[in-house]
Amino acid sequence: MPGPVDDSNRPAKRKRASLDRKPSKRARSESSDEDSQAQILLLEHEIFESKKNYNNIAKLIKILGADTEDADDSVVAAISLCRVFMRFMVAGELEKRKGSTEKDLVVIKWLRERYSEYKAALLELLGEYVIGNTALELCMRLLKAEGEHFRNGQDYNFPTAFLAEIIQVLLMPETEDSARKEFSEKFVEENDDVRFYTFECIEKLLGDGLQTPNLFDNALEVLTTIESVPEKKEELEDFYVAAPKKTTHALYSLTQHKKRAQSAWLALLRIEMSKEQRKSILGLMDNSIAPWFMRPELLMDFLTDSYDAGGSTSLLALSGVFYLIEQRNLDYPAFYRKLYSLIDAGILHSKHRSKFFRLLDTFLGSTHLPAVLVASFLKKLARLTLYAPPAGIVVVVPWIYNLLKKHPSCTFMIHRETRSAEEKEILENEGLADPFNMDEKDPMETGAIESSLWEIVMLQSHYHPNVATLAKIISEQFTKNAYNMEDFLDHSYGSMLEAELSKDIKKAPVVEFEIPKKIFTKYDVEAGIEDNLVVKLWDFN
Amino acid sequence: MPPSQLKRLKASLRDQGIVGPQRSKKQKKQNAQNGADKEKRVNRTTALNGIREQFNPFEYRMPAKGPKFEVTTSNGIESRNGKGVIRRPGAANSRDQERLDRLLDTDIRRRNKVGGILDKRFGENDPRMAPEEKMLERFTREKQSRHSKSSAFDLEDDDMPGELTHMGQSLSLDGPAIVDDFDEDELELSDAEDHPSDEERQSKKRRRISGEEEFDDEEDGEEGNQPERKKSKQEVMKEVIAKSKLHKYERQAAKDNDEDLREELDKELSNIHELLRGIAPRSQPVPVAQITGMDPDRAALLNGTDKIQFDKDYDMQVKKLTQDKRSKPTERSKTEDERVAEESRKLQDLEAKRLRRMQGAPESSDGEHSEDEAVKEDGLDMEEEDFGLGSGVRTRPSKLSRPTMAELGIDDEDDFLIDEDLVASDSDIEPSDEDSGDDSSQEDEGDDDVEFLEGLLTEEESKRPEFLTGSNAPLPETEPLLANGVNGDLAYTFVCPESHEELLQVTRGVVILDLPTVVQRIRALYHPKLKAENKAKLGNFAVALVDHIYYLANQPNRTPFSVLETLIRHIHSLAKTFPVEIANSFRSYLAEIQEGRALSPTAGDLVLFTAIGTIFPTSDHFHQVVTPAILSMGRYIGQKIPYSLSDYTTGAYLCTLCLQYQKLSRRYIPELISFIENTLCALTPTKLTKLPGNFPYHEPKGSVRIEDGFVSPKQLSFYDCMSQDIPAGDKESSKMSLLMTNLELLDVAADIWAGKPAFTEVFEPVSHIIQHLESKRCRSKLSEATLTSVTKLSLKLQRMLKHAHLARRPLELHHHRPLAIKTSIPKFEESYNPDRHYDPDKERTEASKLKKEYKREKKGAIRDLRKDAKSIAREALKDKKERDAAYEKKYKRLVAEIQGEEGRESKAYEREKEWRKKGRK
Repeated sequence: MPGPVDDSNRPAKRKRASLDRKPSKRARSESSDEDSQAQILLLEHEIFESKKNYNNIAKLIKILGADTEDADDSVVAAISLCRVFMRFMVAGELEKRKGSTEKDLVVIKWLRERYSEYKAALLELLGEYVIGNTALELCMRLLKAEGEHFRNGQDYNFPTAFLAEIIQVLLMPETEDSARKEFSEKFVEENDDVRFYTFECIEKLLGDGLQTPNLFDNALEVLTTIESVPEKKEELEDFYVAAPKKTTHALYSLTQHKKRAQSAWLALLRIEMSKEQRKSILGLMDNSIAPWFMRPELLMDFLTDSYDAGGSTSLLALSGVFYLIEQRNLDYPAFYRKLYSLIDAGILHSKHRSKFFRLLDTFLGSTHLPAVLVASFLKKLARLTLYAPPAGIVVVVPWIYNLLKKHPSCTFMIHRETRSAEEKEILENEGLADPFNMDEKDPMETGAIESSLWEIVMLQSHYHPNVATLAKIISEQFTKNAYNMEDFLDHSYGSMLEAELSKDIKKAPVVEFEIPKKIFTKYDVEAGIEDNLVVKLWDFN
Repeated sequence: MPPSQLKRLKASLRDQGIVGPQRSKKQKKQNAQNGADKEKRVNRTTALNGIREQFNPFEYRMPAKGPKFEVTTSNGIESRNGKGVIRRPGAANSRDQERLDRLLDTDIRRRNKVGGILDKRFGENDPRMAPEEKMLERFTREKQSRHSKSSAFDLEDDDMPGELTHMGQSLSLDGPAIVDDFDEDELELSDAEDHPSDEERQSKKRRRISGEEEFDDEEDGEEGNQPERKKSKQEVMKEVIAKSKLHKYERQAAKDNDEDLREELDKELSNIHELLRGIAPRSQPVPVAQITGMDPDRAALLNGTDKIQFDKDYDMQVKKLTQDKRSKPTERSKTEDERVAEESRKLQDLEAKRLRRMQGAPESSDGEHSEDEAVKEDGLDMEEEDFGLGSGVRTRPSKLSRPTMAELGIDDEDDFLIDEDLVASDSDIEPSDEDSGDDSSQEDEGDDDVEFLEGLLTEEESKRPEFLTGSNAPLPETEPLLANGVNGDLAYTFVCPESHEELLQVTRGVVILDLPTVVQRIRALYHPKLKAENKAKLGNFAVALVDHIYYLANQPNRTPFSVLETLIRHIHSLAKTFPVEIANSFRSYLAEIQEGRALSPTAGDLVLFTAIGTIFPTSDHFHQVVTPAILSMGRYIGQKIPYSLSDYTTGAYLCTLCLQYQKLSRRYIPELISFIENTLCALTPTKLTKLPGNFPYHEPKGSVRIEDGFVSPKQLSFYDCMSQDIPAGDKESSKMSLLMTNLELLDVAADIWAGKPAFTEVFEPVSHIIQHLESKRCRSKLSEATLTSVTKLSLKLQRMLKHAHLARRPLELHHHRPLAIKTSIPKFEESYNPDRHYDPDKERTEASKLKKEYKREKKGAIRDLRKDAKSIAREALKDKKERDAAYEKKYKRLVAEIQGEEGRESKAYEREKEWRKKGRK
């Protein structure tokens, strides 16, 4: 068996060579092209005719491996060889039989060596553009044939070694995306056994500490395309290689499947990754990764690390962490403190805003939370709305309403009567400083509950009429039970503008009564009329 | 314990003497002789009956209880005594039974009989046959009988004895002479009554039970043995009808006579009155024509005096009537004071209207009403909880990828309602407003136009006949040119451009500075008052003008702003006439900006924003054009991550516009503060150690920090927004001017938003940044003049913040009247009856009522049927007994006869035998 391709520059060389070849190929006459292919077919034919012509195999392999030859030739040769070896396998000529003579054994040994050579050559082709897909197809055919005929006396034998080689080539940075894509879509996704062993191989490969650039991305690509998580044992019935007869085989076990997937993913998560990669993994967490995990606790380290990272990574890890806390009893100390720190200047501008608020709604949904803590969240978000886009404000206001409704003790923030005369006098003389400390990290210590939501009152005179109307809900009577947050989460400048502009004008718009004498130019000094702001500040000459 | 029933029976029998000790023969004989026996037998039956009744507990029914209180009834004393009426249900029952039996008896007996004759007509009593079928069947039978029979005298055929005759006349119905009585129309009705079908009879019978049976019976009996009639029934009926008609007519006539008489008397009544009062009757004027209640002219006409003359007169009258006008007070010329007062009142009105719009209240004529409506709308708002935010981002991550209603183009009804509320917050009292507004706007417009057209036409021009006569025919463009315009070669007449292309065509050769004149001439030439279709033309022209200012501002060779200004003023003036067209064209530009270049506005866009700010009232709570415009501007300053100085400049310009928009309404713009702070932070000569505030800070890629603050700042120019490459020398000056402009903007913003509840929160970070500018690290890099203005602003902000601090109070938003808990008082029944069902569900009660009725009816019907069956059975039994008895009697008679005969014969035989014996002897 040939080991993994040692000289990594070889495929690149091949590629270059093939690129070089292209113009020459065009220049060459077609007849010679056909000649060589006919020759290959002839060679193949001869092999079938007599054992004496077995040497043709070596010739074909040579054609296949030859750099200078035509790309088409190598493909034809590969296909021919595939046919040849398939036939051998079916006929059992690659296996030792009981009555085989010494001579036969020599032939078998020789054939096996050729077969290994052939496979190595084929794997080289795998990484190339266009031919890669054909090579992959051939590889998989051989894999199937091997699985069905190289039993080694066992009941069931999946050619794991060969698959591992294929996958290794596929994970190489030079390998084209198309081959990888085809592999995962056509073979892994469709066949339960291929998927099973692919997970196994990937785990092994990643665990071996294979260090190549893009390894993470490529492995991630292969793994993410595998989406069909089996849910019932009965679903496990699509097998590429003939299925094992024993029903107790690991292939029939759902848990074994999931276990393999789980360890493959874990192996991937152990690899060093960049921030962007981490984010993409977190983004995949819900749909692609979590379903494979029988024990989601295993994700704990990864998720808590991500959550601690801060910024948008934390936002993305939030749901995973919450799931673990809620379902798997994860102990995350100071979860709310961390959550509080996530509410920063950018949160209302972030594209993850709606996702965050959906989660925040859940986290603060409990009525058992201390009012002080809830008040801190309310006040901080209210403060942020002073700089937020209308879409952000529109999320925060009904959310505040809902929380106030849930935590009536927080309603002091919108209604606090000063009763004693001394207090009134102090207020009269000294005014009031906001007791809320924006810089405090601990939501229990911010003093928000002593403060008032002046910010929301300010927003009642927001320039957008709908936002202003919405902000008025906190000064109305709280007759409504709760606002449905979903109605407010997904807005943006674009959607709001579209909502305004898509409406037809039903009524003639009001036109300013007075036509100003000057718009861009200054009034005469003696006119005594004040210039408008634009004219004052800008030069229009 | 009372004695047993049997003992009591025995005792009572003994008491009555029915049973007693056996009497001796002697006693019996004695009794028989003196008739005591006979008497006793009679007594015995009555006594027995009495005993029977006494021992039947069901024979009498006492009233359950006397009346609790004394009442007056028709029954008199007995009921008052508390005894009440003793009823005998048994007797009543048997009486009913008897009656029923009798009825049934007659029914059964009379079955299939008409009069005394058995009705054998085909299907007569078959209720399943329709009358037509019956007729048809009968007809076929008769035909068959007639044709199939070979002989009328066939003796073998005994079920149809041929044609019946009576006194030699055929009884067949075919005969023309004799008509069957049955078929007579008049008879049918009475007949139907007399011989009701079975069902009818059945129901009638039930009615009869209640006591009118004798009468019916009588009738039946009468009909049964009617004497032979002299006249046919038909004739009788005809006679009767004729008679009744005659009577009726006579009555009517008598009545009419009476009526006439009475009327005459009524007429005379006044005379009588006068006579009675002793006043002589007034001599009535002799009427011209007998036709009362008619115009004398018309009467004359009818009399045919002069028809033509009359027609003429009539037409004249009508015309006069139509042309009549109501007299109007002539308008008094107003004094100077009055005019000023009116002017100021008008302005006040407009201001009040503007204020109302600013508060988002619907525009209306009377304030109270509008307030009410506002409240109502607020209520609606709260209920429907839609804030007109639109449908949100399209790429909703909802798992169900079902399109929302809005996406489907169907607005949710609620949505629609609310949207209208918010959108057309001033549209409710539209008609009245339209009316009044239209007039005034027409006038205004006129004024404006005059102002515009006058101000722009030079005296020389206005002398020209075209302008004086306002000749309007679109003359060819190659009009002899006179010395006017900038180059003195401007044409006087133009084709009215109805699209931007046409406008470009028209103004192709025109110097840009002449453009206002061209526009003004076009407006004069196509004044709507001159021709009807001019209005539409001018509307299109207005839209083209909007396109044109955008186009001009985008031109690389910068259009003078004086021209743009005049054009915008023209558009403004036209907008009063064509608000919808112009608003739509602005909105289409806004949509274009939103889709294509939200974050990279062109100079044209900026000019459009400026134009919107002057043409439309920016203080309105909602405005169809202003709201999207300020939203678009907010989008730029909120979302743009500035890279270059020009981005900062554009932002600053938009901030200026935003502030100008909010000059009156003082609404808060979060993006503005965020953008200005961002700009300041980016511009400061040294970086702030800690960013104050909570805006997302974007560090520009290429530093824009002020390096040389001693360059004197110049005023920012509009076109700085567009220039991408500022020469390195100008860069510092641009930065400085940006800094100064932003400081100015902050100054204005602080003024505008002073007194807002969160003023401190907004301006504290600003103050921090400005203090940083003053700090030692920056001080060295800024010029003295800059520093003084910075310090001035800083001091001002400090002062305002202090004010805000003093004025700040805890929020007290919820001084609402406490909401009453919703009550639902249980319904209380005044006189509750446990037997009644108080089911609030009406349908259910109806259903149960019907069920009950059905049950009752069914029970009744079954009972009736049983009774009928019983009495029929009894009848049958009686019949049978009678028949048996008759048979027995006959049998016995026969036996007796035979025996008698036999006896006689045997006697004769004996005698004979005797005689023979004797003879022999």
